[in-house]
Amino acid sequence: MRAPSAKTNNTSRGIPAISIRDCVVAYGDNIVIDGISLDINQGSIAAVIGPNGSGKTTLIKAIIDLVPMKSGDIRILGKHLHSVRQMIGYVPQRFDFDRYFPMTVGEFLDLARRIHCQKHFPASRVEHKLREVGLPKETLYKHLGELSGGQLQRVLIAQALINDPSILFLDEPSAGIDIMGEAAFFEILKHLKTEHDTTIIMVSHDITMISHIVDTVVCVNHKLLCFGSPAEALTKNKIEELFGAHQHPYNHPGHGADHDRKPAK
Amino acid sequence: MTPMPLLEMISYPFMQRALISGVLLGVLLAYLGIFVTLRKMAFFGDGIAHSSLAGIAVAVLAGWAPLPVALALALSIALLIFWLERSTRLPTDTLIGIFFTASMALGVLLMSFSSGYQPELVSFLFGSILAIQNTDLIITALVGGAIVAWLGLSFRSLTYMSLAEDNAAVAGVNIRLHTAALYAALALATVLGVKILGVVLVSALLILPAATSRLLTRSFRSYTIGSLILAEVMIIGGLLFSFRYDLPSGATIVLIGTTLFFLAAIARRLAR
Repeated sequence: MRAPSAKTNNTSRGIPAISIRDCVVAYGDNIVIDGISLDINQGSIAAVIGPNGSGKTTLIKAIIDLVPMKSGDIRILGKHLHSVRQMIGYVPQRFDFDRYFPMTVGEFLDLARRIHCQKHFPASRVEHKLREVGLPKETLYKHLGELSGGQLQRVLIAQALINDPSILFLDEPSAGIDIMGEAAFFEILKHLKTEHDTTIIMVSHDITMISHIVDTVVCVNHKLLCFGSPAEALTKNKIEELFGAHQHPYNHPGHGADHDRKPAK
Repeated sequence: MTPMPLLEMISYPFMQRALISGVLLGVLLAYLGIFVTLRKMAFFGDGIAHSSLAGIAVAVLAGWAPLPVALALALSIALLIFWLERSTRLPTDTLIGIFFTASMALGVLLMSFSSGYQPELVSFLFGSILAIQNTDLIITALVGGAIVAWLGLSFRSLTYMSLAEDNAAVAGVNIRLHTAALYAALALATVLGVKILGVVLVSALLILPAATSRLLTRSFRSYTIGSLILAEVMIIGGLLFSFRYDLPSGATIVLIGTTLFFLAAIARRLAR
């Protein structure tokens, strides 16, 4: 199944940010991603949704080569990943670090800066990126273990932005943060899109967020089940197909409290 | 301790060899200890050290120099653990446990063929400052120097990889290569430390400086520097103390380190 490109205000651009063709990923005999093909346009915000164990995270990890594909082809900005690594940022689902490990936020971000782009970016970039995710300069001197869940998530986003990525991947970015933190997170994503034209691809369980800020929805349950704008993709039938009738935890845009909210432009 | 005995102590060639070797080992094991504690691999050093017993037994029986044989065996086991970890998906500590006991069993079996008291084996088990020969010092300088140089080049990649492996991979850090090289470096450095600290105690030098420094520091920079200073204090203090009072060097070094650890734990508690 090949999904059409999402209609965003960037369709005039020739090369998709991400182009996936017949992607198959298997863990042993267990096929997790079964022949998915799709294009994500540059400058768009795309959300990958699906039930638990449907292969959402695996799809993201296959795109950025953290899990190997059994077959298929993935291009990022028309190229193989190894030649565009410096244009990618990634925020993992879980950051299983030792919270008592002696490292300040400044040291952590500077480590990422030096790994990504030793010669190109000055040390002041660390402070700049911290401000960009809405954290004060004093956070630089805080111990990583002192951060709240929301602050840590912003630091991880700042770390992923350290090399000014053209494409940002986020795996369940709003998990574990409160409503206020989620609202601030939306603002960061909107800022990235509008100010930096960053393409954002995220795994999400949050249908509210999808209807607010996402341009493209990618519904996955091992195969690609739906693809398009939230209004197009998240019909009642599609959601029931994806999560099972009366079992899905979401409201969909056409039938829930959010039905009159418009997707982001 | 009066200044005179100290000067006298370091005037002995065997003590000079032990101190030079100890200072280099301090740098090596303190740096590697940072990754050992960060990656929760404390058992790795212990397992490799015990595994080296089989190599020492082979060398003693064949009349070869024990250190090169033990280094070769430890390197092989480290790379085998790395390969098996990926091919069998068994936890690292399970694999280390298998090699640890199998190599010890082989060592004990081989030593049973050799009759009488084995002073060399005893010095390998518990460490001895008299055991460092010129060839050992040269091997320690060459192998240890190469590992320190590699650590200097790869320190950031290793740190980033140990903290956030997926992010490091996305940024282009070769995770497989760095992990295999870290295992190899850990195995070689552990065996280099066996002569002074002994098979039974050498892993303490991977754990104690990093663990103690961690109790006292907040930033990574101070943590790294603290680990290095503590390792050197442990080794130099332990060597001098063991010589002065005719004590086993390995045990003295470890007990000085343990004392520092408890003092740090008390200081941290009081500082709260």
